[in-house]
Amino acid sequence: MSLAPILGTDPLIEEAATRAFNDLAEKWFAGKITRENLLAAVEQFGFADASPGEDGGAWLAAAAIIRAQARAAAPIDMALLLATGERAAAIAHDPAEYFCDATAPAPASAAAHAALTLGRCLQVGAAMGAALELSIRYVQDRKQFGRPLAQFQAIQHSLALAAEEVAACSAITDLALACAAREGIASKRLPALLDAAALVAGQAVNVVYDMTHQVHGAIGFTQEYALHRHSLDLLRWRDHLHLARGGDIGCAERLGDAALEAGSAWRAVTASMTPGDSP
Amino acid sequence: MRFHFPIFAFPPEAEALRAEVRAFVAGELAAGRWKKGGDFASNYDPAFSQRLGARGWLGMTWPKRYGGHERTMLERLVVTEELLAASAPVAAHWIGDRQSGPLLLRYGSESQRAEFLPRLARGDIFFSIGMSEPDSGSDLASVRTRATKVDGGWTISGRKVWTTFAHRNHYAIVLARTGDAGAQRHASLSQFIVDLKSPQVKARPIVNMAGQEEFNEVVFDDAFVPDDRLVGEPGNGWTQVTSELAFERSGPERYLSSIRLVEAALACAKDKPTPRVREALGRMSAKLMALRTMSLAVAAQLQNGEAPNLEASLIKDLGNAFEREQIAVFRALGSELPRRSDDYLSALAQATLYSPSWTLRGGTREILRGIVARGLGLR
Repeated sequence: MSLAPILGTDPLIEEAATRAFNDLAEKWFAGKITRENLLAAVEQFGFADASPGEDGGAWLAAAAIIRAQARAAAPIDMALLLATGERAAAIAHDPAEYFCDATAPAPASAAAHAALTLGRCLQVGAAMGAALELSIRYVQDRKQFGRPLAQFQAIQHSLALAAEEVAACSAITDLALACAAREGIASKRLPALLDAAALVAGQAVNVVYDMTHQVHGAIGFTQEYALHRHSLDLLRWRDHLHLARGGDIGCAERLGDAALEAGSAWRAVTASMTPGDSP
Repeated sequence: MRFHFPIFAFPPEAEALRAEVRAFVAGELAAGRWKKGGDFASNYDPAFSQRLGARGWLGMTWPKRYGGHERTMLERLVVTEELLAASAPVAAHWIGDRQSGPLLLRYGSESQRAEFLPRLARGDIFFSIGMSEPDSGSDLASVRTRATKVDGGWTISGRKVWTTFAHRNHYAIVLARTGDAGAQRHASLSQFIVDLKSPQVKARPIVNMAGQEEFNEVVFDDAFVPDDRLVGEPGNGWTQVTSELAFERSGPERYLSSIRLVEAALACAKDKPTPRVREALGRMSAKLMALRTMSLAVAAQLQNGEAPNLEASLIKDLGNAFEREQIAVFRALGSELPRRSDDYLSALAQATLYSPSWTLRGGTREILRGIVARGLGLR
């Protein structure tokens, strides 16, 4: 007996995302749907720090596209997604404000809020993936002591650790995405999965930010080399993600309460990962 | 993305099975048949294994003609994770059910399958893994135990170590050298089913740091093994051993070793949980969900006939780090628990003492990270 994944080969998520995106595109591009328009919309609604739409559809579309890009293209063409000049200017102007999402309006509905979190998780994952890919290329090219850095076991293990965290973040985010796609953005199960995704993403960022910079040496700490773009993105989106959910401790306490209520951490975990009756 | 874990869901029949396993476990505990404790490599109870066999919960995925039950890897995962979450005594059957059986299904002869699989599925016989040696740990391909061809079979000479429960189990699948180690050390290895009760095989327990007799030194002194106990082709041992890895490294035993400690702490805290207890439980739950998602993906891929060895190694490294991390976290929370129960203190002591073995058994963290690095193209 062969099993089919519910996210991956199953077109459900792509369908849901396409539907959401089509609604959006109709509004914004008067029915002219092209790849360029699509990416422009993603940039406008997924990657720019605009307020998510009331229905959360824009974020879901953005989420699906980020995920598709992250899976299809390594390295991800982040140039499509980022306005580099603006970011450089912003970080130089006021680093604290750069990371703070205080100016962003709160999502208008619970659904929009869930979609916002999902989009942020995917953004963080995509930025981590890009930082990791850049690091892999760098340690293969850069030579010290007469050989590529990639040949040093310490370097191999550092990036292996980073890759493991990226994989964990991607898995839990995809689980939340599958839940949103199958049960709808208003699924009762989704908030716990999003809290979990936010926590796993946060831990992954700590490791990835550390390891990718460490293997790069000083060049990674410059504005002329590309790593900083991914680092600034993953840090900022991580902060936005956690702020959107009331802080990472808040996420953890809610999940902890679910465990206490169930009388067992294991039972709470299995319950939150079991699809409900909703389609 | 270098590693991809597709998202699968447990089908409804698997969730129904979960309820069955929970009811069974509750009944066993209520009847006082065993106490929670240890883990998959230490808590040994042949009678319990036989009760699982009687319920059809051993050899679950194997063909019915070999005593199996033709259920999916996902249903097997439900049973294994529920038993581990309950800290049930699964050590006797664990290796045979997890990897010796699947190995024989894949590479064994028809007569080997007919002889061993039905007994494994009933919980009547138990298997050990004979891989490590005094001079061969992580560098497994350097093993020196030798099998020499004789009339009608082979004689095996050498020593294996860290062979879990070899002093109580019935058989071991032994990796031995059958050719010249010099030229092609990977191509001169073969696997044999060795009767641990044979007079030429002596298992001597090596007392572990916790004072327990679990793993062994096993000495083979010209132990005769008939031809029909060679598994697969001579010289194919390395390929066969590596084919077991996805089974060996991706399962819930790689991230649930400290679950008893977590649940015991929760039980102590549940009437008056402090914010730090709530936070710790939540952080633990989040990572557990991620690991479980990944483990489910590998189980489904195994069901589909794939061999996600790389992903399995990744899960084990991440899972071992996770289960070790919980010890520090829930130890520190002890002072916030209104009452540190005997269960909590015993789970804490056990996890603390056994944790060094978690990141060694089944592939050290260094070996695993090397495999992940190879997946990244760094080696």
